[in-house]
Amino acid sequence: MKEKTDVLQGTLALMALKTLDVLGPLHGYGIARRIEQISGDLLTVNQGTLYPVLLKLEQEGSIASEWGVSENNRKARFYRLTRDGRKQLQAETRGWEQTAAIIGRFFAAKAEDLK
Amino acid sequence: MRMLRRFLKRLSSWTKIQQNEERLRAEIEEHLAFQTAENVRAGLSAAEARRQAVLKFGAVEAIREGYRDQRGFPFLETLIRDTRHALRGLRKAPAFTATTILTLALGIGATTSIFTLVHAVLLKSLPVANPGELYRLGKEARCCYWGGYSLEKEFSLVSYDLYKHFRDNTRGFAELAAFQAGQSLFGVKRAGRAEPAQSYPGEFVSGNYFTMFGIRAYAGRTFTANDDRAGAPPVTVMSYRLWQQRYGGDPSVIGSIFNLNEKPFTVVGIAPPGFFGDRLRSDPPDFFLPLNTEPFVDAADPDLNKHDLHWLDLIGRIRPGAKPASMEAEMRVELKQWLRSHWGEMSANDRAKFPHQTLFLRPGGAGISSMREEYEHWLQILMMVSGFVLLIVCANVANLMLVRGMERRRQISLSMALGAQAPRLVRQALTECIMLSLSGGAAGLAIAFAGTHLILHFAFPQVNGMAGIPIDASPSMPVLLFAFGVSLLTGIAFGIAPAWMATRVDPIEALRGASRSTARTGSRARKTLVVVQAALSLVLLSASGLLTAALHKLESQNFGFDQDRRLVANISPMLAGYRAEQLTPLYQRIHDSLSSIPGVSAVALCIYSPLDDNNWSTDIWVDGRPAPGPNDDNSASWDRVTAGYFEVIGNPILRGRSISEQDTATSRHVAVVNEAFARKFFKDEDPIGKHFGQNGVGSEREYEIVGIAKDARYLHSGLGKPVGPLFFLPEAQHDVFPADKSNEASPGSHFLHDIVIVTRPGASLSDAQLSRAMASVDPNLPVISIRTLKEQVAFQFTQQRLIARLTSFFGILSLVLASIGLYGVTAYNAGCRTNEIGVRIALGANRSHIVTLVLRGAFGLIFFGLLIGLPLTFAAGRFLGSQLYGLNPYNPAVTLIAVVALGLSALAAALIPAFRASSISPLEALRAE
Repeated sequence: MKEKTDVLQGTLALMALKTLDVLGPLHGYGIARRIEQISGDLLTVNQGTLYPVLLKLEQEGSIASEWGVSENNRKARFYRLTRDGRKQLQAETRGWEQTAAIIGRFFAAKAEDLK
Repeated sequence: MRMLRRFLKRLSSWTKIQQNEERLRAEIEEHLAFQTAENVRAGLSAAEARRQAVLKFGAVEAIREGYRDQRGFPFLETLIRDTRHALRGLRKAPAFTATTILTLALGIGATTSIFTLVHAVLLKSLPVANPGELYRLGKEARCCYWGGYSLEKEFSLVSYDLYKHFRDNTRGFAELAAFQAGQSLFGVKRAGRAEPAQSYPGEFVSGNYFTMFGIRAYAGRTFTANDDRAGAPPVTVMSYRLWQQRYGGDPSVIGSIFNLNEKPFTVVGIAPPGFFGDRLRSDPPDFFLPLNTEPFVDAADPDLNKHDLHWLDLIGRIRPGAKPASMEAEMRVELKQWLRSHWGEMSANDRAKFPHQTLFLRPGGAGISSMREEYEHWLQILMMVSGFVLLIVCANVANLMLVRGMERRRQISLSMALGAQAPRLVRQALTECIMLSLSGGAAGLAIAFAGTHLILHFAFPQVNGMAGIPIDASPSMPVLLFAFGVSLLTGIAFGIAPAWMATRVDPIEALRGASRSTARTGSRARKTLVVVQAALSLVLLSASGLLTAALHKLESQNFGFDQDRRLVANISPMLAGYRAEQLTPLYQRIHDSLSSIPGVSAVALCIYSPLDDNNWSTDIWVDGRPAPGPNDDNSASWDRVTAGYFEVIGNPILRGRSISEQDTATSRHVAVVNEAFARKFFKDEDPIGKHFGQNGVGSEREYEIVGIAKDARYLHSGLGKPVGPLFFLPEAQHDVFPADKSNEASPGSHFLHDIVIVTRPGASLSDAQLSRAMASVDPNLPVISIRTLKEQVAFQFTQQRLIARLTSFFGILSLVLASIGLYGVTAYNAGCRTNEIGVRIALGANRSHIVTLVLRGAFGLIFFGLLIGLPLTFAAGRFLGSQLYGLNPYNPAVTLIAVVALGLSALAAALIPAFRASSISPLEALRAE
């Protein structure tokens, strides 16, 4: 069994927001699929876990949803990013980049740098 | 902002739960359809494609739950659902539910009922306006009269003159009121009615007493400053209780004349219901009288204008913004000024002590807290004891819950296998516990109400017609809150561990069948609980043993007088309006009249009969010795008695003679002293023939000692200590020093209170016979009470007896609970080992071997309980300390009895499961799953 990486609380939400930002309105399955593809199967998460996250985002006003028809003519619920959501995404992206940069610098540091 | 939006969303989504459920269901269905289609494209069969899709999606129920948590108010909904679930579960196990609730009710009830008393006596403020603004003079409560211009430690009582000095000079007080520290009984009769006088307690208070407390009259009016002025028409305020109980709320009482000690007073108003005066006490006053009527009532020996007689307590309401600390400093200066102004009247000793005289100002919202000081330690003990009982109850219920948890292991495993989350299961179990404990708390309130009633009834026996202690047994808001808090705490305390343990089951293991496994989950926790219970109940048992032994020692001690065939009747010639010179003939008439009743063998009168718990103390001057210095202790108590008193009370005279008929008003003034007096003042000398006096320098030759009586106990306080010095004077003799008779030091001492009557062996004397004989002397002289000397002695131990009984009750309760706990654990463990025992029997173990096996397990627990309990027991003994009246707290007999009691009940609790285990049929045991 491949080692799973636990999804940090809130990370899934950020991934969902980014997916919607890049791809525009999408249904739940589509979002799940993209997250899976991009994380390259390193991140194994039950797809169902996504739905409570979507509901939470919707309640916070970051995304909105409505019933529509999918590319293969199925009825599906489509989610799209709202203005608030876009702002939230930008803010959180900056936050992540900073964190990642800091952690990265730590990993790059050699013993002599820390003296 | 986001929070608010979420809240609104939740609110709206809560209203359309069905719609949401539908939405989720549809979305899941769509999702699975997409995934299945994808899988089919990847080349899987239709069925396999669907299966893979579902697997990938994850546990639908858990996701649904996560989804639900995002909308509506999941906490509330879960709570409702859990409550419903718990109710259903409890209904299915009525025996368990009933046992648990009953056990909890006992524990919570006991604690709450003690807390009701703690709250009323230790925590509550007086029922007056803004008690936080009230400040009282003095750190400790004192009774009743203190004399002189120097007081030990602090001026907590003041004379009327000193009160006026403080009142007129301390600006920080909006009102400063003074009132009597003790209280008096008054012979009360409504004027113009042909009813005998009845005695009720009354209290002298300053004119601003009610104003200071912010108390308005229920009907009529309270006092004004004009009522408390020399020469003002005498008025009084009656208590609501007396007005209702005796006069049925008759409005004509207001404005009518009542005779108090034969002096006419106009009742101007009724105090409001619930107002019980300035302190909590068992006999709150029924009449309030202005201070300035004191000389009118007590014309023979008025106290009001004696500058050096301190008999008033002070409570004042401070002005907003006034600083009590600076007021205290100000009043200390005022005290010194006042003492300086009386320099001429001060004795040499008073002057020597002048620099040390001080006073303290303390918060007075609770009034004068004499009861607080008296009962604090007792209540602490009771609170501890009931807390221990509650702990045992918690342990017991936790045990029951654990068993229940074990029995439900399969159910829980199944739930977990189906995807239930551990926190949810814990929450469910906790909900059940809290529901149980809240029901237990509700039932406990009922028990607490009954219990408080019972305790009050025993602790403060109500005297006919008098007000009882103003403590309400019905739960007040703080008590309700307390009971609720305790219930909640116990629920969490006994529920959380079992709930947590229940979820730590391995589903596979549990479903496979617990009975075959040898590892018994939770058995260590259950054993620990039993060990704790055993330890706690050992502590309670030995504490109750110690208190009972101390009580027995108190009651069976040699008091130095005879209790058999002796009656004590209380009278009050002062209430009936007698004057000092009429007293000696009155006593003679009483003596003659009572002696003539058939069956009576002897009669004598005295101020204080033994152990009626009162005392008159004084300083004495011994002839031929230098006057005592400021630090010399020359105090002694005294009593005034009629001829033949020592014979009547059965107090042997060791040397010399007793007080007899030959001691008349004109004969040589004599005194009989007790052994302690002789030891204290004469050491190795022979006291007979020596002289002493009690009225200061010049009075040293007042009394000649003619006899030494054996030490007899008169005072209840200091029961564990030796009897103090005491001297007896003949009633017929009046002090001649100072020569001016009007200044006789204590003319009041000739008003004797107690008649002691000895009956012939086998004779019985009815109260009616006594009352008739007394009525033939004077129908207006009421007999206040009649009781046997035995009852009077026993009355002194009411408190000790109550505490000993309560503690014993709690001890036995805890023993029973611990036994039930032990029984439960032993029975359960034996049940788990059915297989093993079956195998052992099949392999040839005999029955007694099995019994020993089970008993060994049970007694192992008890042994550990003793190990923990014994040191705690000694600590408890130390804590009881002074309440044991000199009994050694390390009492091996008491500890041994407690250990044996614990051992025996453990044996009883363990034998039943042991025998049941030994009668297991090996075949059945092996066949059983």
